[in-house]
Amino acid sequence: MPVLTKEWFGGQVVRNQTALFRTARSILKNDQDAEDAVQEAILSAYASLDSLREPERFKPWILRILTNKCYDLCRKNRPVVDLSDVEEVIPASGTDCTERLSLWQAVEQLPDDLRTPITLFYYEDLNIRQISLVLDLTQAAVKTRLHRGRERLKLLLGEEGTTDGSV
Amino acid sequence: MDLFDENLKKRAREETFPLPDDYAGRVFATCAALEEKTVKTKMTTARRWALGAAAALAVFIAVPNISAPAAAAMEQIPVLGSIVQVITFRTYTYDDGHGQADVSVPQIDGSGSAAASVNKDVQAYTDQLIEQFKTDCRDLGEGYEGLDVSYKVVADTDGWFTLRVDALETRASGYEFSKIYNIDKTTDKVVGLADLFRPDSGWQDLLYKEVLGQMNEQMAASSDKTYFTEDFTALDPNQNYYFDKDGNLVLAFDEYAVAPGSMGPVEFTIAKSVWQGLRK
Repeated sequence: MPVLTKEWFGGQVVRNQTALFRTARSILKNDQDAEDAVQEAILSAYASLDSLREPERFKPWILRILTNKCYDLCRKNRPVVDLSDVEEVIPASGTDCTERLSLWQAVEQLPDDLRTPITLFYYEDLNIRQISLVLDLTQAAVKTRLHRGRERLKLLLGEEGTTDGSV
Repeated sequence: MDLFDENLKKRAREETFPLPDDYAGRVFATCAALEEKTVKTKMTTARRWALGAAAALAVFIAVPNISAPAAAAMEQIPVLGSIVQVITFRTYTYDDGHGQADVSVPQIDGSGSAAASVNKDVQAYTDQLIEQFKTDCRDLGEGYEGLDVSYKVVADTDGWFTLRVDALETRASGYEFSKIYNIDKTTDKVVGLADLFRPDSGWQDLLYKEVLGQMNEQMAASSDKTYFTEDFTALDPNQNYYFDKDGNLVLAFDEYAVAPGSMGPVEFTIAKSVWQGLRK
């Protein structure tokens, strides 16, 4: 049973710092806002450390706090992004996009509602139930968004799907 | 999970993610600035290393022939007996933006076997710190890891020679620990705590009760003081010690060993009158 001390907390934060920034960046549009959200999440999480009942589930717990901070920032800064302004980067037929887009660049092209579930699933290795808890969505909604996101990524990355796309 | 998912997860693991410059440093600073939460639970040595949280202060003290008059006459300038001086044996520096190390390894320049023994231990110890640092850097990936080791001659007289090596290991918080070597210059031997006393004198129990008594007194006098009195059940015969300038025995405990991190490393001074009758 981990000891919930500042040292333990700091170790967990450092271990998950990339996941924290990446998740924040999947919601917010610039690095500075993402960093601000991460910092606020660290402070809030530490203040409510006693509420962490299962220390081994630290990652989804702090990601939930982080996503709430991100949504708070979105509300403060609204409008963040007009979806109509988001240009979808869909490769022309026959082009090899794997040479042009990194996975993250492709993820960044996804619509807002798909980007974070995709990030949590592929980068942070969270399962559907965990993603539903982090984002406060039903598991059905998470599955739907993952399915739509996967189809978009296949187009963006120029890769063939190997299944019917079900999650 | 299908092949597409597996391929994407593999790419996600392998592709370098673009983090802002010094993001890790700012996360570290945010964590370091958090107020200490006091949890009255003893951390194991393994866990301390695993978390590595933070700051490690390692102190080596080589003290020949411990006597009150000698202790009172401690001087800064070495050059007596078989110990000539202390030199920097080697240095190790490293900086990749996430991990930073600056290590100076001392060596006692002398002909005695005690000096050689201390040198060997210091070398092995600093090697271990450096190896642990390298391992932590690998495991931590984009985290922040720091190690600083320095030393200074604290005292060297006819009877005493004191070398202090400070090590600072940094990750998310602080962890300090000490290691103290005592050398009897007249016999040219390293002297552990147990070597000071007659085996059948009951010294270990006496010193333990003295320390426990001081812990309870301090906690009764101040709510800021907390000790793990329930976990502290016996005194280690190899406990770090040194003698203060008045010849009193000082027992030094690593951070977390007998108190929460907020207390830092702690020391208890045992008056000479308490234990001098038990000496060899």
